[in-house]
Amino acid sequence: MTCEDLRDSYELYSLGLLLDDEEKREVEAHLGRNCEVCQKYLTDALAMNAMLLSQVHEVVPPSRLRRRVLASVGAERAGWGWVAALAAACSLVIALWLSLEKRSTDRELADARRTLQQTVDERDRMEQAFLFLNQPETRQVNFGLGQPAPPRGNFYLNPRMGVLLIASNLPPLPAGKAYEMWIIPKGGAPRPAGLFQSGPQRTAMHILPGVVDANVTLAVTVEPESGSPAPTSEILFAAGF
Amino acid sequence: MILVRLIPISLALALLQVSLRVKGEGDLARRLQSRDAGAMGELYDRYGRLVYSLILRIVRNSAAAEDLVQETFLRVWNRMQGFDQERGALGPWVLTVARNRAIDYLRSADGRMSAGSLELDRLEHPGQFCNFEDQAMSLDRARRLKEAFEKLTPNQKTVVELAYYEGLSQTEMAERLQQPLGTVKTWIRSALKVLREQLTEAAAT
Repeated sequence: MTCEDLRDSYELYSLGLLLDDEEKREVEAHLGRNCEVCQKYLTDALAMNAMLLSQVHEVVPPSRLRRRVLASVGAERAGWGWVAALAAACSLVIALWLSLEKRSTDRELADARRTLQQTVDERDRMEQAFLFLNQPETRQVNFGLGQPAPPRGNFYLNPRMGVLLIASNLPPLPAGKAYEMWIIPKGGAPRPAGLFQSGPQRTAMHILPGVVDANVTLAVTVEPESGSPAPTSEILFAAGF
Repeated sequence: MILVRLIPISLALALLQVSLRVKGEGDLARRLQSRDAGAMGELYDRYGRLVYSLILRIVRNSAAAEDLVQETFLRVWNRMQGFDQERGALGPWVLTVARNRAIDYLRSADGRMSAGSLELDRLEHPGQFCNFEDQAMSLDRARRLKEAFEKLTPNQKTVVELAYYEGLSQTEMAERLQQPLGTVKTWIRSALKVLREQLTEAAAT
């Protein structure tokens, strides 16, 4: 074949798409003997191919791709990317840890506040009880003495200040139940005098502030936690003034 | 039809870049040959976007495109010693490597691997990309090429795209288009001839 016969083959040849093996051998034979005409045809074909390929609609590559390419030839240490990623991951872990720590600290702080409030409340009750007991007009009546394993304790009544109950050996309460104190006037119906629970040692201290008739009977029953307007169970213990 | 859809401004900018890139690259080529890693950043800044766009157009998968861009630049880096720093044209070479890597990927994904892979490897030897005339990739020639492409018949445009962007052989094109092989050969060769003649006329004026 002459150079001119091969003129139409160089674009497809340089794209690797020549169909005919004989034609391919002819092209390579011409190029192999440094045929200037065919060299020019090849260069022209390569230029045309490049111009056609460069007309593709351009898309912006992700910025990480540049770092990746440079890292692959050692122009940019790939380690920096990992360091940055590691630093970001560490920051995330630290932030998460701090967040959990803060949540835990907040919870502990709330618990501490609650405990402190309970302590303050208990202290106030103790002060109130001490003040109650320290009054000369306060009278005391005990209950449960001589019983095998009953609740024991004392009612204190101050007509001006109210009633104070200190009890021990209280029976465990069923779930949803509470102790309820009653003031029973002579010849009258029981009046609710407040709900209370026992502590871990099965002891309790309950105060009903306010003016109280000096001649009443005080009693305690077990009632629903929400309280009852009138006793619904047997009297657990009682004492009269 | 990707070539038909191109807007003139983007085309002009892309081709202007290519034409400018061809000139004055001797120093860059020398630095690449002396294993100046910093020169790789410069090469990527010149061609990275075009290479990524071309590969993405061919493989249509961004993750695969990123892998192939890296492979393209690594291949150029490793074969720089065979490049003619005085007369070589980096742009056409880089684009050819990029196109061939992407086509090779498509063929392997389609199970079309054969001797074609080795042939592509041989056809992108850097020694081939020399003796480019200064005006070989001028803006005027690129514009003429674009205009000529738009004047091709739909069948001619289709086979050109199948050749450049899908790497189909003429037999594969005939099967894909359900046309006789002789018809496909006529379409592709006549299309390339029209385009070539436009470039020749542009060079003569």
